[in-house]
Amino acid sequence: MSDDQSDHEAELLGELRRLARTVDPVPEDVTAFARAALGWRRVDSELAELLADSRLDTESLARSEGDSGRLLSFRAADLELDLELRETDRGIVILGQLAPATPAQLDVQRDDRATLATGSADDVGRFRLELTERGRVRLVVRRDPHAAPVETSWFDAP
Amino acid sequence: MTLSELLSRAAAGDQAAWNAIVDRFSSLVWATARAHRLSRDDAADVAQTTWLRLVEHLGRIREPERLGAWLATTARHESLRVIRRTGREQPTDESDLFEAPDDETLDRHLLDLERDGSLWRAFAALSDRCKSLLRLLMAEDEPTYEEVGAALGMPVGAIGPTRMRCLDRLRSTTEIAQLGA
Repeated sequence: MSDDQSDHEAELLGELRRLARTVDPVPEDVTAFARAALGWRRVDSELAELLADSRLDTESLARSEGDSGRLLSFRAADLELDLELRETDRGIVILGQLAPATPAQLDVQRDDRATLATGSADDVGRFRLELTERGRVRLVVRRDPHAAPVETSWFDAP
Repeated sequence: MTLSELLSRAAAGDQAAWNAIVDRFSSLVWATARAHRLSRDDAADVAQTTWLRLVEHLGRIREPERLGAWLATTARHESLRVIRRTGREQPTDESDLFEAPDDETLDRHLLDLERDGSLWRAFAALSDRCKSLLRLLMAEDEPTYEEVGAALGMPVGAIGPTRMRCLDRLRSTTEIAQLGA
């Protein structure tokens, strides 16, 4: 490519960039959300990362058209969470299982800082949470008071 | 300040360092979502989730100098997630994406109606592949090829030739449009 050509390319791209700045800028509320997101920084908690989501797996999507809801799995260093999300008349039900089985307190936090539900896991690590609102949420799991809380990655409910 | 320093400061709760990261990459994250032909609402969802993912991973970014590529990859994954969630290959309200702005919009922004209008219409008439690539390259501080490849799932070697072909096509269409005006 000659320098002439590449100058032309850069110039044309520059014009497009100027236009995009005007007709398709990053919305201000997105930038404000991004800046405020630092407030969700984990200080003394542990992240449970998303391992699997049946919604993103086309095979299980086809399979799950029947009874089961959306299945999600998360894993932290010493704790795994399996969730099933179902939509009901009144909202969303989350059925969950902690492994290894352990009693725990659970909160469902939404990205606007609202707590949508709280509950507890029984001796075998099972829990049930009911949400009347939807949104981008995460679970916070508190086991014994001396262990760091575990927080899941954010996910959409339902 | 290097990206590595900004990231460690942000991980320690330094809002100014975090804002600097957001300011530097918000255009790239937005362009990645829009290059996937998402509506503004869906693109906003993708951008927000992408920034939350970075907060989740603060202190665990292995190659801080490649943060742009990490964000582009994350925004691409989130874009594909939105496309699957909504169960469609392409947004139904595509018109809000690459449609040429109407005269009123151009006028409001004090743009040159004839010239900018014909350029944007020519852009809107390009192939999907060209529109995606060029929309991404329109991000501020022209993204690196590594970032572009990560954002579009495109081999880095294909970017230069595709970029040249798309810009050529755009220029010839724009010239034709201007001749006819």
